[in-house]
Amino acid sequence: MTKKQFLDRLGKSLSGLPQEDISERLTFYGEMIDDRAEEGLTEEEAVAGIGSVEDITAQILEETPFARLVKERVKPKRRMTAWEIALLAVGSPVWLSLLIALLAVALSLYVVFWAAVICLWAAEVSLIACALAGAAAGILQICLGRFWQGVALAGAGCVCAGLAVLLYPVCKAVTKATWTAGKKIMKGIKKLFLRKGNQK
Amino acid sequence: MDIQLKRGLLDVCVLAAIKDEDSYGYKIIKDMKPYIEMSESTLYTILKRLEAAEMLSVRSAEHDGRLRKYYHITRAGLKRIEEFREDWKEILSIYQFVTKEDQP
Repeated sequence: MTKKQFLDRLGKSLSGLPQEDISERLTFYGEMIDDRAEEGLTEEEAVAGIGSVEDITAQILEETPFARLVKERVKPKRRMTAWEIALLAVGSPVWLSLLIALLAVALSLYVVFWAAVICLWAAEVSLIACALAGAAAGILQICLGRFWQGVALAGAGCVCAGLAVLLYPVCKAVTKATWTAGKKIMKGIKKLFLRKGNQK
Repeated sequence: MDIQLKRGLLDVCVLAAIKDEDSYGYKIIKDMKPYIEMSESTLYTILKRLEAAEMLSVRSAEHDGRLRKYYHITRAGLKRIEEFREDWKEILSIYQFVTKEDQP
């Protein structure tokens, strides 16, 4: 691949980013290729040393804040005509509320997942509390001479402790899964924005 | 390595690479190579971050009929390196504490 081909491809695959970001990146990589070539490498070798366009794009995407991608996406590429603005304003009760509703649904779904995680942890904490309380109450009853009541309470405490031990890895796994799923979804959304930009 | 820790370390590495004289992208990577490998994309992000934090300044100069960006360390950048040296003493004593069981 020549330098020009490489930079063209990179520029295209980044087209969801703000224009000034793209040209700055391209200047940077162009300079890198020139400097490598200056050391006696051929143009092709110099380009190959930089890495693949796909890898570079993936890394840049991960580093770019979501807000920046959205801003670029929402920004109109040309000036809107007067009647387009008027239409947007007149239609705002419809599209604005739809947009808000959509965002609210997305947010509530996210909250629901985390609520499930919080519930699990709450159950875990209460099991631990029951185990401790059972043991304490059991010992107290035995000291007060009510032997069998004490044994029953301590037994219940033991059951709670066992359940708590069993539940713990589940809590941890679910928390981790929710966390990674959230990150993956974010990555997916970012990719979506970049791809949409590419179609232009 | 912990990503936050590595990020902070790489920032200081790049500052150290331009400490004695102004340098440019490819040279920074080349100078660091014997010690730590860094990709071009990573360097770009770090340079941007350091520029935003005003730890370095950028100027373009002509080289061989083309423009090349040179990075110059600022006073804040030098201070960051100094801070790192101070931090390092603390990290070292933490390290000694963490590994002290290994010794008989």
